[in-house]
Amino acid sequence: MKLRWPTWVRPRAAIGLLVVCAALAMGPLLHDNIYWHNQLTLTFLGIAAALAWNWLGGYLGQVSFGHAAMFGVGGFAAAQAQIHLHVPMVPAWIAGGVLAGLFALIWGHPTLRLRGPYFSIATIGVGEATRLVCTYWDAFTGGSSGLSLPMQQNLKHQLYWYGIALAAVALAGSYALRRSPLGLSLLAIKSDVDAAGDVGVSSTRLQDLVLFLSGGMIGICGGFYASYFSYIEPGNMFGFDRSISWVLTGVIGGIGTIAGPAFGAVVFVLLQQSLIASYPQLYLGLYGMLLVLVILFEPLGLTGLALRVLHRARPDLSVTGVAGED
Amino acid sequence: MPAILRAEGLSKRFGGLKANDNVSIALEQGSILGLIGPNGAGKSTCFAMLAGSLPPTSGRIFIGEREITGLPAFQIARAGVVRTHQIVRPFANLTLFENCAVAAVQSSGLAHEEARALARETLEFVGLANRRREYPAGLTLASRKRLEMARGLSCKPKVLLLDEVIAGVNPAEAREMVTLIRRIRDERGVSILMTEHVMAAVMSLCEHVTVLDAGKLIASGTPQEVVANPEVIAAYLGKKHA
Repeated sequence: MKLRWPTWVRPRAAIGLLVVCAALAMGPLLHDNIYWHNQLTLTFLGIAAALAWNWLGGYLGQVSFGHAAMFGVGGFAAAQAQIHLHVPMVPAWIAGGVLAGLFALIWGHPTLRLRGPYFSIATIGVGEATRLVCTYWDAFTGGSSGLSLPMQQNLKHQLYWYGIALAAVALAGSYALRRSPLGLSLLAIKSDVDAAGDVGVSSTRLQDLVLFLSGGMIGICGGFYASYFSYIEPGNMFGFDRSISWVLTGVIGGIGTIAGPAFGAVVFVLLQQSLIASYPQLYLGLYGMLLVLVILFEPLGLTGLALRVLHRARPDLSVTGVAGED
Repeated sequence: MPAILRAEGLSKRFGGLKANDNVSIALEQGSILGLIGPNGAGKSTCFAMLAGSLPPTSGRIFIGEREITGLPAFQIARAGVVRTHQIVRPFANLTLFENCAVAAVQSSGLAHEEARALARETLEFVGLANRRREYPAGLTLASRKRLEMARGLSCKPKVLLLDEVIAGVNPAEAREMVTLIRRIRDERGVSILMTEHVMAAVMSLCEHVTVLDAGKLIASGTPQEVVANPEVIAAYLGKKHA
């Protein structure tokens, strides 16, 4: 049987993704600079999480300030599975992700009836409540002292490649959600949920589906994070600043675009890591300024900026219709 | 002719207010039925119940033999009853083609490529094909109303509910709109239930007219019968003119 791509997949995009992944995967074979190695691994994690956040916040316009809840649930579930059930690392991440996705559905199914700022405020409550419950839930999170994961040989090298895979899966997911027939329905819901219903878009089911995928992917990221640092504690995993960082990366990179949040994540991680040693709080200040500039001048963030430059250089290229053009 | 859309004893209460009180409507296959009445008579509430945006307090709704009472809006759209909005609600972040494509993909029951072809063809049908790559923000009100109708038609409906699609456009555009509505029925075979304040359009398009006043059905018949009905005149102009 011959493998056929769906009509909405551009071969160029698929090949491009594979080439970039292959090039990045060569990294550790060519150099052994541990600093850049770690830096890139964290960047891949940031990319995957920012893209997953964007499925809900960008495609559906339901901006969540509580995604750290799923990050933590996925992380601790994966850690528990590895410590007590001796599940191998990757299946443990996936189990953690599924659990995080289901957890997202439990609070999200009722909450997604709210829209815009009302939904966002509800997610702040969910995030903080989850953090508090989990801080006191010793059996699940080890309480304030946290959990230590089993040590493994050569883990950091493995995780570099898993990180590439994670980011690639998230990017492919972003592409599929946006460009498949589903993508138009999501944008219709974002624009006008009632009018979307009137033309047959089942908004409740689609919103639940996207929330499950988004929460699940964030949960997998939590599992990855737990393995990477091999020690996790609730205050960090469920931290509000973690949720905020995904909102920032999404908005600055280009909310609702396919790959924008990935750029946002690259800038965020690099700024954070290069400034945190000398000026611990400065990167947040810089990021805040970027946020203000984006909101004032370029609603599509870095992606919008790139498209403008591209459009100036090549006015013949249409840069507005990102997907589903006729 | 059998009724394609039938409402039996629909009522809707908002607290103490009866917005619709025991309204029964039958739309015959292939016909155009007008639903008229003064402002606040309950026309839009009636539409909202038929399209599933509001659940009725009591009463039943059928499409053909199938009961659709209480189904959510998206299922009613897929079952073949699609509404347009009095105040147009295009998807601002989608191109005209994408506006229609999303409706066709979700509700026409066609496979993906055929659904997209239907969306293209429907835009052609309402006269917006050359602007299919544009966004709705650049359209005039009349064109947006056409888009609203094209999006509805892309669902491949059995029944189209048109909520004041003529009101608010200039006389030349209104004449074109009347022609378009007639073509939807004649060329697409879609039965139409329309509310409208522009009486000239109602008189020329509708085979039957049903009149609502204060939530109650007060008259029903051909347009000529209805405009001569003393109760209808009283509802619009006051008792001394009846």
